Amino acid sequence: MPNHTLVNNIDHKDTKINTERSAAYGDDIWFTQTFPAEYRSVQAYYPIFFTKDENTGRFFSVALFGFQQNENLFIKDNRWSVPYIPLTHARTPFLIGEQALMEDGIEKHQRVLFLDEDHPRVNTEQGEPLFLEFGANAPYLESMADMMEVLHHGIEDHNAFIDMLVELELLESFTLDVELNDRSQHQMLGFYTINEDKLAALSSEVIAKLHQNGHLQAIYMTLASQSNVTRLIQLKNAQLGL
Amino acid sequence: MDNLINRVIIVGGGSAGWLTACILAAELDLSNSNYTVTLVESSDINPIGVGEGTWPTMRATLKKIGISENEFINCCDASFKQGSQFNDWQGRTSTNPVYSQDSYIHPFTVPVEFQNINLAPHWQPYSEQVCFADAVSTQSVLAKQGKAPKLITSPEYSFIGNYGYHLDAGKFSGLLKKHAINKLNVKHVIDNVTEIHNDDSGFINHIETEKNGAIAGDIFVDCTGFASLLIGKHYNIDFINKQDQLFNNTAIAIQTPYDDPNQDIASCTLSTAQTNGWIWDIGLQSRRGVGHVFSSDHTTTDAAEIQLRQYLTPTIGIKQAEALPARTINFTPGYREKFWHNNCLAIGMSAGFIEPLEASALALIEQSANFLAEQFPKNRAIMPIIAKRYNQTTSQHWTQIIEFLKLHYVLTKRTDSQYWLDNVDPKSMPDSLIENLELWQHQYPYRLDQAGYNPLFPAASYQYVMFGMGFKSNPIAKRQDKQIEQRAQQLFNENRLRTQQQSAVLTSNRDLLNKVKKFGFAKI
Repeated sequence: MPNHTLVNNIDHKDTKINTERSAAYGDDIWFTQTFPAEYRSVQAYYPIFFTKDENTGRFFSVALFGFQQNENLFIKDNRWSVPYIPLTHARTPFLIGEQALMEDGIEKHQRVLFLDEDHPRVNTEQGEPLFLEFGANAPYLESMADMMEVLHHGIEDHNAFIDMLVELELLESFTLDVELNDRSQHQMLGFYTINEDKLAALSSEVIAKLHQNGHLQAIYMTLASQSNVTRLIQLKNAQLGL
Repeated sequence: MDNLINRVIIVGGGSAGWLTACILAAELDLSNSNYTVTLVESSDINPIGVGEGTWPTMRATLKKIGISENEFINCCDASFKQGSQFNDWQGRTSTNPVYSQDSYIHPFTVPVEFQNINLAPHWQPYSEQVCFADAVSTQSVLAKQGKAPKLITSPEYSFIGNYGYHLDAGKFSGLLKKHAINKLNVKHVIDNVTEIHNDDSGFINHIETEKNGAIAGDIFVDCTGFASLLIGKHYNIDFINKQDQLFNNTAIAIQTPYDDPNQDIASCTLSTAQTNGWIWDIGLQSRRGVGHVFSSDHTTTDAAEIQLRQYLTPTIGIKQAEALPARTINFTPGYREKFWHNNCLAIGMSAGFIEPLEASALALIEQSANFLAEQFPKNRAIMPIIAKRYNQTTSQHWTQIIEFLKLHYVLTKRTDSQYWLDNVDPKSMPDSLIENLELWQHQYPYRLDQAGYNPLFPAASYQYVMFGMGFKSNPIAKRQDKQIEQRAQQLFNENRLRTQQQSAVLTSNRDLLNKVKKFGFAKI
């Protein structure tokens, strides 16, 4: 059972979050979800592809960290080797939740921050404190709260982006063939990318609409990000000493 | 100039009429051609609505006519069908746990590597340890576990285990009708046909209707069901009665809604043998359709109805089992001597009808409509050639269906009624079946048996039914090829492993159908 509690300065007075990066803290993931609002930062380091949620079959975009399960080529010496970590992963161990409250007799909903108490990052010894001595939010917590706001809106926009890609049938499946320096061949299945022929064939009306809501830029960011596959291959070769 | 074939008139709605209309309209690309397809149906006739099971071919058919699988599943109360499960057909009891239940599955997936290797002889030495279907495919085991044939991440119409559908036939023809009219430019006329008029050469020139007057066409498709207005009443094409081989001629059907909307849904059509026939049991999303099909020469409708209600009692309780309304359908098993005469062809029950033991009704409609669509005659001069071939192919199909259905009966050990005794009497068997059974005493059914034509049932189906019924070949001794033997063992091992892997990832039918409703399959 997940143990999620509302972040507050009484229960979490002494709570610290360990920000080291390693498999022990759940950083051994080979991809994480990303969304258009952070594509600009993500495409600087990671390939962006699309895959399907195994429970719903719905597409979502991912930033790729490795070529197989549990392989994160960006983790080195307990550190993440590039400056930007996609927010869906950087947020751990925090979660966003909704709380209903009454204000002037009207029920309102506000977003609140939850903490996964069982997450290995959560402790009282090491890392970033959540609260200052007299109970005020620590800068780390403030930055996490801001991050969760961006994430919330980013995912909403992401879902609209995906709906558009599906409706215009702009996604196509592809097989990523990787050859390492030792000539070994590796194949990755189950990923999708933008079909550039279909993109090129869109009418100017559709293109204008995509431009207005920022989705055209997002599409090109994902295309540009593909060159980062080369970087991943380099990292893999380096890791294997090839 | 009059000789060009442009105007298709389909008489009769229902699954046959609308499916034919959709297949023709999609292939002939009506919006970009001179072709027209007009469907004339009476408002007075209720379609009989049999054929609630399809073959895997239906996936390709739906895709071709441009219906999304999500829409189809949601509109037609449809579920996934992975084959047929035959209970109580063998009439034998065994203490071997592999065969303790009198039950076998004929799955839609052919044995692994079927095109390259005949696994039957390699399986037979192990027949006491594992039943044939479980040894050569993953599907029979997965179907027994109630697993779905694919994942929510599988694209529309793609599969892990080959599948067709169980569907609500009334809703299905409704969906096809909407699609034909709105998307495929099929003209729809609601009217009663009063007369049929030939031209001088004996070809149909036009049909006369009550309100819309004369409707002329170049080719006419008879989809009027048992009424058989064109091929039967108008042209008097002979009907070949096959009741001496397949005795069943009456069906009693009952629909029973689920108490619990999340009730498990069986992966196969269940077919349970009775004393004078068998009971089908088909699980849709919201209800089961069950029916007893039997021989009225061997029992009475009242007795058959009592058996049907007794069959239902353990699952729905005696109260409901007694109360649900039943519908009786009488039919003569058989088919027309000809299916295409002059410029008229019969598709659906006007062409023939047989007990739904292997759910061949909709499959035959697809076959026929696809033949017509792909071989569509350009003009009258070419028509006789195409008609001749159509008649040959369709006759072959009917002959094979009858032979294959009869195969289900002839290997039984049941002796509990005259019905089963009569069924194993060689006098009731087609000659081709007697020949094949003779042959299969000494060799295993495989591709060569069916050389020379495109069979409706592949040799794989014969293997599943024969070995399911406990048949054993006693082949002549041949040189043992070590490599092939090793390959067979490897395939058996891989199949066992694959079965476990698939079982681990696949969910139940109900679970997947709920996800289809909520999320849908992606197109890719």
